[in-house]
Amino acid sequence: MSDIGKIRIRVPSNVKAGDVVRVRCLVIHPMEIVQRDAQGKIIDRNYNYITRVTATYLGKPVVAFDLTQSVSENPAFSFALKATAPGPVKVTFVDTHGGKYEATADIAFA
Amino acid sequence: MAGAMTRRSALGTFGAVGAALATGTLSIGTPARAQAQGQSQALGLQESVQDGLKRVFGGRPMKDGAALIKLDIPPIAENGAVVPVSVEVNAPMTPASHVKSIWIVADKNRIPIIAKATLTPEAGQAFVGANVRLGETTDVRAIVEQSDGTLLTAKREVKVTVGGCGG
Amino acid sequence: MRSLPRLRWAALALLVTGCALAARESTPVASPGRTSRAIAEARGDVRVSPDGKRTAVRYAGWTTRDFGAFRSYAYDDVRPEPPVQKAVMPVGVVGDPKKGRALFLDRQKGPCSGCHLVPGDDVWPAGSVGPDLSTLADRTLPDAYLYQQLWDPRVTFPVTVMPPWGAQGVFTPEEIVHLVAYLQTLHGPPPPEKDADRNPFTRRKPTGFGDNLDPTNNPAVVRAEEAQALWSARGPKGKACADCHAGRPQTAMRGVATRYPRVVAEYGRVMSLEDFLSVHAEATTGRALPSESAANLDATLLVKMASNGLPVAVDTTSPAARAAIERGRASFYRRVGERNHACADCHTPDHGANKFLGGRFLGDVTGGLTRHFPTWRTSQNDVWDMRKRMQWCMTPLGANMLAADAVEYAELELYLTTFDVGKPINAPGIRH
Repeated sequence: MSDIGKIRIRVPSNVKAGDVVRVRCLVIHPMEIVQRDAQGKIIDRNYNYITRVTATYLGKPVVAFDLTQSVSENPAFSFALKATAPGPVKVTFVDTHGGKYEATADIAFA
Repeated sequence: MAGAMTRRSALGTFGAVGAALATGTLSIGTPARAQAQGQSQALGLQESVQDGLKRVFGGRPMKDGAALIKLDIPPIAENGAVVPVSVEVNAPMTPASHVKSIWIVADKNRIPIIAKATLTPEAGQAFVGANVRLGETTDVRAIVEQSDGTLLTAKREVKVTVGGCGG
Repeated sequence: MRSLPRLRWAALALLVTGCALAARESTPVASPGRTSRAIAEARGDVRVSPDGKRTAVRYAGWTTRDFGAFRSYAYDDVRPEPPVQKAVMPVGVVGDPKKGRALFLDRQKGPCSGCHLVPGDDVWPAGSVGPDLSTLADRTLPDAYLYQQLWDPRVTFPVTVMPPWGAQGVFTPEEIVHLVAYLQTLHGPPPPEKDADRNPFTRRKPTGFGDNLDPTNNPAVVRAEEAQALWSARGPKGKACADCHAGRPQTAMRGVATRYPRVVAEYGRVMSLEDFLSVHAEATTGRALPSESAANLDATLLVKMASNGLPVAVDTTSPAARAAIERGRASFYRRVGERNHACADCHTPDHGANKFLGGRFLGDVTGGLTRHFPTWRTSQNDVWDMRKRMQWCMTPLGANMLAADAVEYAELELYLTTFDVGKPINAPGIRH
């Protein structure tokens, strides 16, 4: 069973209204790198890697990442958000093979 | 396995881990071939860093942002596969004035423009982090674009070790 | 021939039983005809093609070179260490310092810079296991002396960790002449150091990869969490682990990992969790968990993590355990391979531990490392158990690796685990 697309999100606890908090997320994904043949020529194929990460909080966009194959396999991303109310942080990852992976974590107030 | 669970963490600030499972793969029609890695106009090309910066920023001036930009990256990377980078900008995040974009660039990478983060004022702080691949010892730059179009930049050298008895 | 008189049969029966009992009491050793339960690329096999060419079967990306000419860890490999060799510098070869420098830095050879610092901005990363050679020529050592050092330093320093490069054929006589010529150019004072990190004696130590138990940091934790379902999944015999070990692995297996590796009487040998799972899972549930398979590593992670926070408590006192630990210790100090190295050369404070080998900061086993295995390896983007780590060392050292579940590795692992006794298990780790 492949773990591709499995996501973990970490949000802090004991959040108060107005706090700027940091969120980190990790997604299991091969982030395939460009391969070259024995002569050094790039092998042309549809490499599977995440091109976009979007994060929303309470349904509103907070941050988005545009990515390349220079980003690590099983990448982790961090960002900040201003906690205004308890509610969901949703991250979405999209890869070049049409994969779309989503997960949500809740900001809970102390 | 949804829901928060308390987990021992070396970082005191984070208490609960919100662990959520992905909903799984959804096909978005027929996967289109990534266009020579150029699916985003700003990223993804195999090019020299000079060409990349010119392509993305034209000749726009870049101010020295060393005083405002905290570029956190290990000075020596044990391997080039996973190098944690974070960028924090000491600048407001209001609708009137905020950091709009942060690029992470590695001069010696084959794909030097590594990632671009786009922020909204809801972020509350201009802070982003990502794990990147570095092909060899290189300068790593953060290029920050503010809502008024000002560009700031800071850079650090990262030495990369390769592994094996000699590297 | 007619059957033996009953008394003789009885005596024979007693003898056989007695021997079997004695075998159980006595310390288990690897039987020459042992069968590995590892996946194909982890068995240490060497294939011989019809033209006689020998190719090792190893993990993808690992060298396939056969190092059969050199001593390995196998208990039945009774070849001695390579004999100490006196050398005579060849005449008629003019040493070229430029060639020598290239050889010194050549990663296909040593490189010498892996252990020795020399000047040059391009020297990255040099190591500190051996002395700094930047001003060696100031000592005005004769060429012949330096030649002998590179050919086989044991002539002068019997317990050196430096390999006998010439004697083992890593460098040709001509190449060593060039190396000597290069070394004789290294006069002081060395150029001023512009970068404290270039010099391994002043270089900053690695800072690691952060919280190993944070699933947003360590992919191995995600892998283990996703593998929980394995515990209650029915195998071909219609049984699941949970059928006998009721509950989630965290509760059912709590404390188990603290006692491994251990002598498993029914199999007559030392076994780690991975070894035991490779036989136990199939015997009970029918599910094959071959050593180094993803499923075996997943199951090992589940069992090991169930003991996180609990102190390692392997048996170190029974006669069988003591004998196994002694054999493991002997392996730890055994010189093997083309490089004629022992684990101890790099991983004890007396020698290489806490110094740089090239860019690698060498771990000190005497502080205990096994409690963090299986570990996530960022350079491999995969989970490695202790056996794969041991197998890996064999390829740069130039010795054929054994099967992942070889008893030699198991007893070496048990020896290493004695340094973790009393310390809390904390797996999976995350490292380079």
